[in-house]
Amino acid sequence: MTSAEISKDMPARPAAREADEGARLGLRLTLPAQLLVLFISVFPLLMQLYISLTDWSPLSGLGWPRAYELWNGFANYVDVAGDGRLWSALGRTALVMVVCVPVEFLLGLALATLFADSFPGKRVFYSILIMPMMVVPAVAGYMFYMLFQSGGPVNDILSSLLGMPVTVAWLSDPMLAMLAVMVADIWQWTPLMFLILLAGLVGVPEDQMKAATLLGASPWQKFRTIVLPRMKTIIIIALAIRVIECFKIFDTLFIMTGGGPGVATETISVYIYKITTQDLIWGYVAAIALVILLVLSVACVWAIKRMARKERAA
Amino acid sequence: MTAIRLENLVKRFGGFTALKSMDLSIGDGEFMALLGPSGCGKSTTMNMIAGMEEPSEGRILFGDRDMAGVAMGRRGVGFVFQNYAIFTHMTVRQNLDYGLRMARSPKAEIARRTAAIADLLQLGDLLDRPASGLSVNILQRVAIGRSAMMEPAIFLLDEPLSNVDAAFRAVMRTELKHIQREFRQTMVYVTHDQLEAMTMADRIAVMDHGVLQQVGTPLEVYNNPANVFVARFIGAPGMNLLAGVPVEGAEGLRIDLGALGRSAVLDAPLAAAARRAKGGVQFGFRPEQVDLVAAGAGLGMTVGFVERIGARTIVHLERDGITAKAVFDNDTRVLVGDLVHLAPHPGALRLFDAATGAALREV
Repeated sequence: MTSAEISKDMPARPAAREADEGARLGLRLTLPAQLLVLFISVFPLLMQLYISLTDWSPLSGLGWPRAYELWNGFANYVDVAGDGRLWSALGRTALVMVVCVPVEFLLGLALATLFADSFPGKRVFYSILIMPMMVVPAVAGYMFYMLFQSGGPVNDILSSLLGMPVTVAWLSDPMLAMLAVMVADIWQWTPLMFLILLAGLVGVPEDQMKAATLLGASPWQKFRTIVLPRMKTIIIIALAIRVIECFKIFDTLFIMTGGGPGVATETISVYIYKITTQDLIWGYVAAIALVILLVLSVACVWAIKRMARKERAA
Repeated sequence: MTAIRLENLVKRFGGFTALKSMDLSIGDGEFMALLGPSGCGKSTTMNMIAGMEEPSEGRILFGDRDMAGVAMGRRGVGFVFQNYAIFTHMTVRQNLDYGLRMARSPKAEIARRTAAIADLLQLGDLLDRPASGLSVNILQRVAIGRSAMMEPAIFLLDEPLSNVDAAFRAVMRTELKHIQREFRQTMVYVTHDQLEAMTMADRIAVMDHGVLQQVGTPLEVYNNPANVFVARFIGAPGMNLLAGVPVEGAEGLRIDLGALGRSAVLDAPLAAAARRAKGGVQFGFRPEQVDLVAAGAGLGMTVGFVERIGARTIVHLERDGITAKAVFDNDTRVLVGDLVHLAPHPGALRLFDAATGAALREV
């Protein structure tokens, strides 16, 4: 039926049927896109669920559709619960998140506050500031790998600052390697935080700031009572982006330390990468991925509900 | 309550001089309107009084106190922004008591003052409503109340009615005047709308291109404009100004208006003023202050266009490139193309020096 035909006899039809007609047309129009989404997100998820219930591996000599021959029920999930390496990788990922995101947020906010006013050379500094974001993470990884060598620039700078030779093997020490990885992440992703927060800061109406000044508010009071509440949404977005990204931290870290020394900097992504490419136990990997997805989904729903409740209360 | 004195105030922004020189005294408790077209320097003047801008030269005194270097939060100035700058993420109450909360005033004091202001501005029922989504007249009252809570000595209002539709403006004008009577504070009101200035202000300061043109009561400014700019700017439509040359005759002095012929004989004081003009003069009269007379008398002009605006009729007149307007009652019978004869009321004539634009006043 063409649109001309539809519009011609539309007035004669009851409203309910008309709406029904509209919905069906809409469905037909969006069907290809929906099929595509189904194919790229729902299908892999189902495949993953299927494989996670088997002992299937690419070395098993079976195509994945025949993985049922290696059915092992929930054995993979039982293993996940008892996998100490997995849970400590999760713990390290959480540590990176808990340290990096707040530091990036505070640095980004401080820089954004600075850049909200104008000062000489602002454009140049601005370009320099957002440059790290444009560096390919793998390249950034190599940069920091070299910076943190025991004969590298970091030690050189520390030596000249402290006035004595410093030869710390940054990437070989479990604690310091973690620190180095975090420094790299903060260097690379503070600019994104800065950009998002600056956009939010510029959106705070200048008149309201002036009004607050005229009413005698101090800079800190203005920040707390006008800027922060107005930027709430954008702050939540910025934090959410970084939390999610931090959870997936991989490239820079992998090139700097490969998860080492030992497993000292092994995060979830690195661990999954290793067991996927080295151990090739894909049934187990699928189970891990599903568990993480579940944990993250629950955490996200909880966080969003909490935020929504606070919003209503405010 | 405080008097304000502006002495030789100058403001430059880079190479651009927004305010060329300003001397103005605003009395204690006076309602002063700064009136002028956009870009005349009125907002700049106001921002300097508030302390948002530092003057390039000159002084601002509140009473006897020089305000140079006094931060805007410490001047005791209430400021109502053009868009009211209401904190939309707060309630009406949080807006009103914002200043006192920031100053950490005692809770009881905050509650007492909020109640008093809310009562005065009839905001009592709205105190706990969110400030977003309130109507403009309520926003205006909240903006005024929020400043009034700080009990400022001086109230500055920056075109507070420019976002309001015409019908509402009349209501808000009355309301603002009423509020000023309640507070009895010195008020400076920036506007480009002469009706607002005329109806509310005790005195009007007319500005143009960074220069103060005239200061006076609304009637002074309307009746005796100091120069050609004020004559044209005040009044709707503005004063008619026709180029002319004083000519001495046997009966006395007339103004030769070229194609329009000669004016009636000027009365003695005005004639004396006209004689002081070096060259030509601008012959001015209000469009409202003319009569239609029989042919042979008055200034003969052709009707080009007739605007009937209800209560009155504005007639656009033309002759050999000279234009004028006249305002009559709504039932005046004039048709486009008619040749009419205008006679300005004798007391309504104003003369201006053609070279300087300044009024030629009777001495």
